Amino acid sequence: MEPFVYFLPSTLSLRKLRQHLPLEPHYQVILEQGEMQGAELLDTFDNGLFQAARLLFQVDRQLLLLDLQTGQLFEQAAPAGRPAIGDMAKGPVVDMLLEVSRLRSLLPVVGIRMRRDEGRVLDDEGKTLVRFYHLTIGRGRRKFMGMGCAQYLRGYSEAYSDLWQWLENCGAMACQNAGDIYSGLGIALRQYCVKPELELLPQTPVKESVTAILGTFLKIGRQNEQGVIADIDTEFLHDYRVCFRKVRSVLSLCTGVFDAKDSARLKEHLAAIMRTTNGLRDLDVYLLNRAEYYRLVPPSAHAGLQILFDSFAQKRKGEQKKVSSAMQSKGYLRSMENLEKIFAVSDNIKSGPQAEVSSLTFARRLILKRYRKVCKTGRDLDETTPDQVIHQLRIHCKKLRYLMEFFAPLFPSGEIKKLIRSLKLLQDNLGNFNDYSVQQQFLEKMLASDIASGTKAMVVAHSIGALTAMLHQLQGHERKQIIENLAGFDSLDIRDSFKELFLTEEGADEDNSLLQ
Amino acid sequence: MKIIACYSNKGGVGKTATSVNLAYISAMSGYRTLLCDLDPQGASGFYFRVKPSKKLPHNTFFDDVGKLVSAIRASDYEKLDLLPANLTYRDFDIFLSRMKNKRSRLKKALKAVDSDYQVIILDCPPNISLLSENVFKAADKIVVPVIPSTLSVRTLAQLHTFFKDNNYQVKKILPFFSMVQQSKKLHRETMVALQKEYKSLLEDYIPFSTDVEKMGVHRAPVLTYAGKDQASIAYRTIWSDIEKKAKIKK
Ligand SMILES: Nc1ncnc2c1ncn2[C@@H]1O[C@H](COP(=O)(O)OP(=O)(O)OP(=O)(O)O)[C@@H](O)[C@H]1O
Ligand SMILES: [Mg+2]
Repeated sequence: MEPFVYFLPSTLSLRKLRQHLPLEPHYQVILEQGEMQGAELLDTFDNGLFQAARLLFQVDRQLLLLDLQTGQLFEQAAPAGRPAIGDMAKGPVVDMLLEVSRLRSLLPVVGIRMRRDEGRVLDDEGKTLVRFYHLTIGRGRRKFMGMGCAQYLRGYSEAYSDLWQWLENCGAMACQNAGDIYSGLGIALRQYCVKPELELLPQTPVKESVTAILGTFLKIGRQNEQGVIADIDTEFLHDYRVCFRKVRSVLSLCTGVFDAKDSARLKEHLAAIMRTTNGLRDLDVYLLNRAEYYRLVPPSAHAGLQILFDSFAQKRKGEQKKVSSAMQSKGYLRSMENLEKIFAVSDNIKSGPQAEVSSLTFARRLILKRYRKVCKTGRDLDETTPDQVIHQLRIHCKKLRYLMEFFAPLFPSGEIKKLIRSLKLLQDNLGNFNDYSVQQQFLEKMLASDIASGTKAMVVAHSIGALTAMLHQLQGHERKQIIENLAGFDSLDIRDSFKELFLTEEGADEDNSLLQ
Repeated sequence: MKIIACYSNKGGVGKTATSVNLAYISAMSGYRTLLCDLDPQGASGFYFRVKPSKKLPHNTFFDDVGKLVSAIRASDYEKLDLLPANLTYRDFDIFLSRMKNKRSRLKKALKAVDSDYQVIILDCPPNISLLSENVFKAADKIVVPVIPSTLSVRTLAQLHTFFKDNNYQVKKILPFFSMVQQSKKLHRETMVALQKEYKSLLEDYIPFSTDVEKMGVHRAPVLTYAGKDQASIAYRTIWSDIEKKAKIKK
């Protein structure tokens, strides 16, 4: 039987509950009251727990997680500071948090006061028939509210539905998402989503649509600045870069929408902003995959890795400072304001020759063209293809993905999602392939640098050598996967779907390349 | 799912006390556990404050799996459920004797809860009957409490003979000493003698303990209110021994 997870807009007292007890059968209710304590409601920056219908409290040095889907409570000692979830000590709460995010850390949403009571309903012989817990929560001057869960015990459905009834008579309402609690406490949810749902209309001139896309991603990207500056978790910089890369891609992919010179200038400006963050992001990626590297190399190389990673961590501090002060500089802020102004309305940039084409026509043409490029590059791939070509393919795929995602609102969502999924599969392999080669190059550079000199040079050289060999092998494996997945992506079925969605009415498959 | 029966053809040797405490330890060790009270007296249920189920028709237990499942009750302890005694168990034998496959009915019935539980413990009434033959067939291991006295020793021998004569697996039988009073010379001597004779005897034994006697007052497993008592400690050792011998796994 489902647990009864409830929300109660008022407080619950034993007296109130007892008022609703029937005389027959004879029940006894026990409520063990906890202590009222100061606490914090926590969530990730992107409201990951809220979305997953989970509430996380820190009471004293204890974490308390409530899963609203099952009504289960989990407890675990709180970590010192605010580490990323993946770095927290394993335990029942962290297991639940990991389902939401590994890289995010937890931020306080609001301070509250709360109390936890444990209740039981017994029969005349003292046997427990149903259990429940009740949390009393208050914030500031608002009146206290409550929430809790009654758990059915096998074989005692009658007492369970009786308790359910009494709780409802006290004002309890079934609660399956965190929204009730947030509004009960008067908490406004932070608006942040790195993948926003844009509203685009097929007939709108493409310049207007593209400007809207640019403005949206610039805004979301900028929401991450404070998190990067305070170095809360690595996802802030990640999301920041994703957004800015998208802005840049829109500018370079949608040729002809804006004046070529203006567009080039904006692109160069954005590239310069991105460049400042390259070093920090690279180091983040290495440090995040630390455990993976240790797993890959033989234990004899661990001492060398240790030195390597210590130096990465040291370097990272410097890079973080650099990025942080760049983001707070007057010049940066001025240029951001300027960009925001430019992307606010479509009249602020000079038009290109395609500006007035309808969004749908433009999107179709662009997507189909890029799909052809992917297929064409992919067809010649085999074991001997130079890495360079595979990288080219990766970039085509990435561009195709961006285009499909930017313009997705113009197409039937089920079908475009299906195509994006099949593309994603291929991209995952291409991404791994690329990671392996970037990592090999980086290690080579490390070997030549100063950390590899001195007394420990031999140890470091040994570990880097082992790692490089390993990465090379993995890369070869990934190449095979790419060839396999390409065949699927270039199949009749997918080709037909692409044609159906993106071929314009005029039947303009001029060079008939899709059928080759 | 492993089925552990607590059985002796002699009464009052500590079967119920053992079933109750082993079931509790099994659940505390993390196994989803079901304690089946097969004794119409309903002593196991009493210790968990679970009332006997309503009088159900005979065929309930063995034929109508749905009814069996719906008679199961949660205990006050996590992961531990109970199938309370049914007053009609008294006439089981007459009923069973009329059925086809009359010795494998219990095994078949318990299959219904196979996915719900990792351990099933059977608290059996003290006799050799069709019901106990069902137990012999269904159980993976049969733990037999033996008070180290002349009479108990004889009943253990009888049980072995019965197993051999009727082609039941003798190696299922795991006897152990129960209600041991080290101060008694007879107890000490009997234990030494039997250890030579029965290699399958469990190493540890349950001492006579006033805390175990008080279970009737507390209506709870002795481990919950006297965890440090010698008997509590012994129940734990005996459980881990059974866990190994029956190859119980999560
Ligand atoms: N280790 C022990 N020390 C002291 N008393 C015990 C011990 N084990 C059981 N007893 C007591 O002995 C009596 C019989 O025990 P129990 O009911 O467990 O035996 P049983 O074999 O199940 O009996 P029955 O055959 O009637 O079902 C009970 O009063 C119980 O409290
Ligand atoms: Mg008994």
